[in-house]
Amino acid sequence: MEPAEVEFLAEKELVTIVPNFSLDRIHLIEGDLGPFNPGLPVEVPVWLAINLKQRQKCRLIPPEWMDVGKLEEIRDQERKEDTFTPMPSPYYMELTKLLLNYASDNIPRADEIRTLVKDTWDTRMAKLRLSADSFVRQQEAHAKLDNLTLMEINTTGTFLTQALDHMYKLRTNLQPGESSHSQDF
Amino acid sequence: MSEAYFPVGPGLGMEENFLSLDDILMSQEKLPGRAESALPRLAVLLGQGAGSAESIPEGSKLEIPLWLAKGLHDSKRRIISVELPKIYKEAWRTVFSADANVVDLHKMGPYYYGFGSQLLNFENPENPEIAQTDSVCSLQTFIARFRRIMDSSQNAYNEDTSALVARLDELERALFQVGQKGLNDFQCWEKGQASQITASSLVQNYGKRKLTEVD
Repeated sequence: MEPAEVEFLAEKELVTIVPNFSLDRIHLIEGDLGPFNPGLPVEVPVWLAINLKQRQKCRLIPPEWMDVGKLEEIRDQERKEDTFTPMPSPYYMELTKLLLNYASDNIPRADEIRTLVKDTWDTRMAKLRLSADSFVRQQEAHAKLDNLTLMEINTTGTFLTQALDHMYKLRTNLQPGESSHSQDF
Repeated sequence: MSEAYFPVGPGLGMEENFLSLDDILMSQEKLPGRAESALPRLAVLLGQGAGSAESIPEGSKLEIPLWLAKGLHDSKRRIISVELPKIYKEAWRTVFSADANVVDLHKMGPYYYGFGSQLLNFENPENPEIAQTDSVCSLQTFIARFRRIMDSSQNAYNEDTSALVARLDELERALFQVGQKGLNDFQCWEKGQASQITASSLVQNYGKRKLTEVD
């Protein structure tokens, strides 16, 4: 899976916007949206929010967690714990990138938020690498990674599964299966 | 283009994949052995004599490719016996267990893991532990080198990676490439390049029709 596909999934998350136009409820396959009234906040998927924003038809209200104080707390918590801590959104990385790229004028202290999220991401990736290493060293066969987000899994996923696949094959070589006796006659 | 191309990967086990090009190249590697019986009229092929009628005498030392050794070998040692290549022997195993990261597996291999796994086919009744330790060694080597492959493949962005991969075995190189792809894809996405449509590298390299000329 490519990052763009992960982003595609992230675009289904809901954000709040303040439109500057009127529109009746619209009926879409995944659900009804609206009605849209000027000045009244309404929840829409990210893809629509970005589109409306680009057409200058709305103002975006940043998600609750996209706040310097909260993100600092999350970052410090992440550094303190050995395991992965729960993230404010399953698509925190994607939403930060999308919202900051298209609506940074609506998000207070956008640069600081960008740095904080990047720091959190780096901490988590370093942690992921560390735990993958000890996972391989101890020759474990399963692991539980509750609070990893899809984007994080996706960047190292193929690498990790392929390495574990090689390891599995090297390890099962040891146990003489049926195939090893086929040469005897 | 690479998404639409599904090459057969190496088998990495007791049996290689029949259509895997990597496995075919791997099975060309030479293996030290000894003829257990005289092999008539084969001396020319193995470079041991001039005349086509000469035979390979019993007990002579041979260097035979893995695929041939596999075909001729059976547990009753009637035709040939096979020895472990020196990099899978005790002396090298000690080196590997000291620090697997310093070993140049490309020079030793380049199919260190695949070849090592194939050697289990020659499990002799007298010394099964050789084959055993050999595979344990492969596994331990892989585990010991895993961290470096992961770190270098996922940290080196936009760097010259030829120095990093120079010492990697073919299997590790493929793994390194996968790690690099994950990192590159993510970085491209982060910079917003993923949303731009770019010409396929195939089209760009195709001499007859360059995109720059069309413009």
